[in-house]
Amino acid sequence: MKNSIQLSQKSTINAFLLFFIIHTAQIGVGIHGFQRIIYQDAKHDAWISVLLAGIATHIIAFIMIKTLEMYSSNDLYGIHQDVFGKWIGNFFNIIYILYCSAAFFSVLRNYIEVVQTWVFPNVNTWFLAATLLLIVMYTFTGGLRVIVGVSFFSLILSIWLLPMLVYPLKFMEPRSLLPILEADMSGILKGVQSMTFTIIGFEVLNVIYPFIKDKNNVRKYVHLGLLATTFIYVSVMLVSITYFSGDLLTKTIWATLSLFSIIKLPFVERFEYIAVCFWMLIILPNLCLYVWAAYRGTIRLVNVNATKFVWIFSLSIFIASLVVKNRTQINMVNNYFGQVAFYVIFVYPIFLYVVAVVKRKFKSHKEQIE
Amino acid sequence: MFNKKFKLSSAKKQPAAEGEKSKENEEKTKSTISPLKSVFIKSVGNAVHNSSDLKVKSIHPNLTLIYIDNLVDGEVLKKHIIHDLLGNTSESPENVLSVLSIPNAKLSGEIDGAITGMMDGTVLIHVEGYSQIVLANIPTKESRALSTPENESQVIGSQVGFNESLTTNISLVRRYIKNPDLCNEEIKVGERSNTAVSMLYIKGIASEEMINMLRQRITDIKIDSLLDSSILEQLIDDNSLSIFPQMLLTERPDKLCSELLNGKLGVIVDGSTMAIVAPHSFLEFFQSQEDINLRWQIATFARLLRFSAVVLSIFLTPLYVAALTFHYEVIPQTLLVTLSESRSLVPFPPLFEALLLELIIELLREAGIRLPSKVGQTIGIVGGIVIGTAAVQAGITSNILIIIVALGALASFTTPSYMMGNVIRIIRFPLILLAGYWGFYGIMFGFCFIIIHLLRQTSLGSPYTAPFYPPRVKDWRDSIIRMPLPFTFKRPSNTRPEDEDKYEPGPVNPEKNEQKVE
Repeated sequence: MKNSIQLSQKSTINAFLLFFIIHTAQIGVGIHGFQRIIYQDAKHDAWISVLLAGIATHIIAFIMIKTLEMYSSNDLYGIHQDVFGKWIGNFFNIIYILYCSAAFFSVLRNYIEVVQTWVFPNVNTWFLAATLLLIVMYTFTGGLRVIVGVSFFSLILSIWLLPMLVYPLKFMEPRSLLPILEADMSGILKGVQSMTFTIIGFEVLNVIYPFIKDKNNVRKYVHLGLLATTFIYVSVMLVSITYFSGDLLTKTIWATLSLFSIIKLPFVERFEYIAVCFWMLIILPNLCLYVWAAYRGTIRLVNVNATKFVWIFSLSIFIASLVVKNRTQINMVNNYFGQVAFYVIFVYPIFLYVVAVVKRKFKSHKEQIE
Repeated sequence: MFNKKFKLSSAKKQPAAEGEKSKENEEKTKSTISPLKSVFIKSVGNAVHNSSDLKVKSIHPNLTLIYIDNLVDGEVLKKHIIHDLLGNTSESPENVLSVLSIPNAKLSGEIDGAITGMMDGTVLIHVEGYSQIVLANIPTKESRALSTPENESQVIGSQVGFNESLTTNISLVRRYIKNPDLCNEEIKVGERSNTAVSMLYIKGIASEEMINMLRQRITDIKIDSLLDSSILEQLIDDNSLSIFPQMLLTERPDKLCSELLNGKLGVIVDGSTMAIVAPHSFLEFFQSQEDINLRWQIATFARLLRFSAVVLSIFLTPLYVAALTFHYEVIPQTLLVTLSESRSLVPFPPLFEALLLELIIELLREAGIRLPSKVGQTIGIVGGIVIGTAAVQAGITSNILIIIVALGALASFTTPSYMMGNVIRIIRFPLILLAGYWGFYGIMFGFCFIIIHLLRQTSLGSPYTAPFYPPRVKDWRDSIIRMPLPFTFKRPSNTRPEDEDKYEPGPVNPEKNEQKVE
């Protein structure tokens, strides 16, 4: 392929780091309050929706890798240009860049909202946005090695939050899970669709694929990463359904944080203060990977260096974060973004794969005739 | 336009070429040695600006010794050189050389090298009528006796530290590693000071790529003088803007040798008691040489203690400030009562209180270094007890903060490397400020910043955060924990060693295996 990416040995990364990349790209702000949204659709079978959504990510990732394997070392942007030609391909690229920017923005804005609600009601939005963007810029300018390093440390250093879920187990009521499959199928499937905003992030694979050193191991580690995410989401969902009563869950916006707030250690109470601040480390890989994905696409369209790009990008996100002011607006952004993301992540890759296969068949057929 | 440029450049070139030629001629007349005694003496005198310690001694009318008085060993000069030459009557440099009982004497026909050598304790022996002279190197052996390392003391292990003499230091290293593969490359650094810098590595273990990189960095230095290895370290490390040192400075020969055997490179500077070790990852700064000497359980415990001490030292005071300024709710009620009781008399906000106390501790430390050792202890007691107690009684600070600050200071001194210990202490101040203004959010901001900063650093081109990132699980055996020796038979891959195995991993428990055979 003429536009494939050639890399030196030093700028590639090991396949097993994909586990960390995929996992940390998925887990972010969504986990704070996905329970309520799914519960509205699927009631106490919400965990089945989460499980199905997890399975869906496996299928989509499978198709994504199939598509990427057709082009031995190329990313989604290059594949677009190859499959659809220069103009239409670049149009799709722009959409994908905008999608990444929107994802970046929605993660940032949601986190700022959580910090303002739970810890610092009086701190301005612009300040929180500026500090977060500053850290993202510092990471981004370090290159892919540093970004992957951040996702690695993000997982390693926050793994201790998971056992904290044991505390609410004391107050759980397992019977609230029964009867299983009471909700009808349409409700559960609607729940799967609502899961989109929380479970996306693994699409970064589309962009990072050419940077992997041992490509034959990609499949294994991507699926392991997805499995870990699904496991965490399902377990959080199960704990939430059994801990909260149904009515309460529909009224709790950030159910996971409410779960944290009952944790009591000898020297710490109101654990959610620490958890919310600590979440900065968890959303950092999200932000960095999205800005990096957007950058990889942008350099296919215009000639821009990394520093210049990240400044322009951060400035526009900064302004956008000031425009979106209150909870209703943020909810609106989340809903719209969730719907768009559903089509970009769960529908489009299948379409792309079919088109790429057809095109390849057509091409080889043509060559045979010639 | 193109023509014009060409003309300009060619016009510029010509005078430069002429200048070079004339320079060459000058050098030729300068560098040859005059067979005439008086001319030779004069030219040497001019070269050292007729320094008053330049001594000229004639043994025969034809045989002249020139040397700098303070640099040569008078005893050797009298007993060997003058004694040997007095009985000698034949008059040629070759003959003089054969008569001398000095091992490192040689012939030379070049004056520049001779004068540089004279600055290093060489006697120039001139024979009338010959344009070659004999150089006999007999420098004074003025050096401190070997003593215990002051800054890196340890209970178990060798008790010898480097001193200021390069030859002694290299002989110390050679005494530990009796191997012809131990290479010693000498490089002169400093246009005026002409300091000898020795680069040490073990051929066949150290990576060639790193050797070339380090050699390149040292030879690229353009500086007029180099007085200590800590200056060289700042000149050759990867990012001199960072607060974190990227190469280790150690005064322990055993530490240097064990790192050389791990595939690292060492640099010793003449006149400095510290050797540079590179590459060195962040984690390795917290490992002591003693950890290998102790049994693995105890060493692991010591390491865990040290790492938790570092975390405690950095984050304890900021957490106190953040919790008391913004997040009262986080503190359990029983603890909150004690805390607010002890703070009830304090008129200052926690941020100011903490900064004040941290500053006092830093003052005590700095004063302790500058004061002569006899007074130092007294000041420690005065500072610790009098100021501490008085500050609480006067109602300036709370008891609990004193405990926290003292604990943090104590913990910061557990870091085996002095350079890294400094960083751990200083890094606390920005974090306290962040905590005082933005609470836990500020601390988290600082924490993320530090992690990203560490991720961005390299040490001689290899990642600073190894072995954690990039994750090299095999190297974790000797990281925060220390596994027993039968498990740590591989060299750390961070040094990219040419030979990975330290030794053949034997059976973990040989006795048991023998019993099985029976």
